[in-house]
Amino acid sequence: MLTIENVTKSFGGLTAVCGVSLQLGEIPITGLVGPNGSGKSTLFHMITGFYSVDKGRVFLEDREITNLKPHLISRMGLLRTFQHTRVLPFLSTLENLIAAAPLQRGESLVKLFLRPGAVRRDEKKNTEKAREVLETIRLQRLAEELAGRLSYGQQRLLELGRILMADPRVILLDEPTAGINPSLVRDLVQVIRGLTGGGIQVFLIEHNMPLVMELCDRVLVMDAGGLIFEGFPHEAVKDKAVIEAYLGKARDASKS
Amino acid sequence: MDYFYHILVIALIYVIFASSLNLELGYAGLYNFGHVAFFAIGAYTSALLSLAGFSPAASMAIALLCSAASGALLAMPALRLSGDYFGIATLAFGELARLFALNERWLTKGPMGLPGIPRPLGIEAGISGIPVYFIFTVTITVAVLLILRKTTMSPFGRALKVVREDEFVARAFGKNVFSLKVRAVAMGSLFAGLAGALYAHFVTYISPYDFSLNETILVLLCVVLGGKGTLSGPVLGAFVIIFFQELLRFLPIPTDWGRFVSPIQGMIYGAVLVILMLKRPEGIIPEHRTLQC
Amino acid sequence: MSGYYLQLMTNGIIAGAVYALFAVGLTLVYGVFRFINFAHGELIAWGAYLTLAFSALIPFGAAIFPAVAVTVLIALAQERYVYAPLRKKAGITLLIASIGLSYFLRNGLRLLWGSDLKSFGFEAARGLVFFGITVSRTQIAMFLAALIFLGFVWGLHKFTMLGKGLRAAADSLELAEIVGIDMKKIGRAVWIISAVFAASGGILIAIDTNLEPMMGIANLLKAFAAVLLGGAGNVWGALLGGLFIGIAENLGVAFFSPGYKDAISFALIIAILLFKPTGIFAIMKGMR
Repeated sequence: MLTIENVTKSFGGLTAVCGVSLQLGEIPITGLVGPNGSGKSTLFHMITGFYSVDKGRVFLEDREITNLKPHLISRMGLLRTFQHTRVLPFLSTLENLIAAAPLQRGESLVKLFLRPGAVRRDEKKNTEKAREVLETIRLQRLAEELAGRLSYGQQRLLELGRILMADPRVILLDEPTAGINPSLVRDLVQVIRGLTGGGIQVFLIEHNMPLVMELCDRVLVMDAGGLIFEGFPHEAVKDKAVIEAYLGKARDASKS
Repeated sequence: MDYFYHILVIALIYVIFASSLNLELGYAGLYNFGHVAFFAIGAYTSALLSLAGFSPAASMAIALLCSAASGALLAMPALRLSGDYFGIATLAFGELARLFALNERWLTKGPMGLPGIPRPLGIEAGISGIPVYFIFTVTITVAVLLILRKTTMSPFGRALKVVREDEFVARAFGKNVFSLKVRAVAMGSLFAGLAGALYAHFVTYISPYDFSLNETILVLLCVVLGGKGTLSGPVLGAFVIIFFQELLRFLPIPTDWGRFVSPIQGMIYGAVLVILMLKRPEGIIPEHRTLQC
Repeated sequence: MSGYYLQLMTNGIIAGAVYALFAVGLTLVYGVFRFINFAHGELIAWGAYLTLAFSALIPFGAAIFPAVAVTVLIALAQERYVYAPLRKKAGITLLIASIGLSYFLRNGLRLLWGSDLKSFGFEAARGLVFFGITVSRTQIAMFLAALIFLGFVWGLHKFTMLGKGLRAAADSLELAEIVGIDMKKIGRAVWIISAVFAASGGILIAIDTNLEPMMGIANLLKAFAAVLLGGAGNVWGALLGGLFIGIAENLGVAFFSPGYKDAISFALIIAILLFKPTGIFAIMKGMR
């Protein structure tokens, strides 16, 4: 349901992403891997509107979203996390979730004062939904805790919870398990798998290859701004171009 | 006793003025150092209209709208700037506004100012009208605080905080950051204009010298000292600062030393700002509990 | 008629040379510390007022030195007690602290010397005339002093280790530290240079006109506009920016009311920030 046509992005003289095309189709979980600097996060930023697209187009379902403002893309159901956790540290865990709910009528000043009943109903509905999500991500007992006090892994879980609050259709996760201790990784993986119910698709950047093999139905490999492989995870590790990309980087690293 | 009412009215005006800045600075994270410009626009608009024959109440209402509109208009291009540059640009704007008031004599009578501003609702001019004006101001202040309370404790207020804390997250979750910021500034400017209009009709004489960098520092101090991001912070800050400011006039200081009062006050204000930033940037009333265990 | 404009241009260039001094000091501080020191203006004012104070005890020419020295001490104290502790915090905390510091210093000035205009008491000497343009001796002194100081900075920048360090720091603070450049020494050097420039420029302006408490912040805003014109952190840009502002101000009076002279700087600040924040005269990379 996410289609990317030949997108390119350059910064000054450096081309970060070059002519990448892909389609998420009906696949539940797709992985995006590649050596550091291959343009994975840049691609994510371009899809979600945080970077402009120099050339090419991006489509969500049939609607073109190329270069739309990020908040509009998000409202269409394309949600994301960032490379480092970005919970709001001074709001409680519960408030972090409620804040993520879309279409809150109370965010309009006019409606706030002229339709207080509707605003109150929205708030009640969102609070209940937040409590349900808290149970899904197993952080109920931390509902009132300031999000800044949560462990890194718990914050990552909270970020997944936020996405659940926002009625996602396509979810982009940027290195969701990086830096998390293995016990919490299990929980995270379970939640990520759970995300794909109801036709929701997950597209994730990861460096943890065993995890990718286990979790992803399909894998895309990027190197130096271009897409060099598309297929099943077990095929990716045997592909010549992929091996060359990773080994090449290792060879360059050992030379310097 | 009349003088006590006088100080109270000024304090209440600053409660509104500081609370309006707090909406922009404390809740939305917008360091608008030119906020005094909208205080001035409110004051001058209301004064000029009422001197031209409109009823003071109507003049004040129109002044509110003018301040809000100018706030929104100015916000829109300025919001492209990041935090401290926004602060500097708005500061420059505040000074430009003062220079405008000083130079465009055909409109503002320049440095001579506007005397004889009538009081609203038939309140008497001069000292005799002060107690009634006090009641008038209290009513308005309470109303403003109630409106601000509803605004900040709402999903809108929460969205502002999200914008303040992390704009990327705000955008990633469907919040139109630009629109939220413009609305925050428009509302902040509206109440700043209200405070300005209240001021103009109270002191009945205004000049560009009433709207300078000093007032910017004063109102910033109210918010930062009292506690930004809270409802009661600016209220506390305003009372503390204004009472300190005004009561100093009462101290029996020999006339020889009278000229030292203002600079010493200024030094205290400057020092307090620095010490606050060093030791307790959240102010007296903190917005949230600290993260330390 | 063109003689009139030429005169204005000359006045502008000379005024601009002094503004360039202020702007270069401000931009050096930005290049190393990445913040705009609002209290820089007060260094300008204190330099002038301290000279006034010392010149009551010793001859004017000698009074300049302790005045500048004390101003340098003030700058170093600012760094040690206010800015260094706040370095890790958000930029806005530093901005508010520097605004507070500037207010504190300005009122300190008013406390010690009062709010009325003061003067060094030099008589307005007859000016010299070149090609139909009148230049006062003071203006010549200002221009020469500015040239010497700026030449010094140019030499510093290009030829010494300190200059290389400054350029590296302006490019990337982290890299400069990794490469082993002693940021503490560079930091102190930058404060000293900017304080010396500010104080000297302040004294020159006070000789040419007079002293009053607002002279610090009035010139700060011009310096700041110049810094922005050149791209924050860019020394050459600041220099050109200062000249531009001097010329713009002086030519500008031919076109609109002198009451708006200061407004040129304010309007420039706003315009640049809105339309070209990396600066117009930015010769190398713009600001972060």
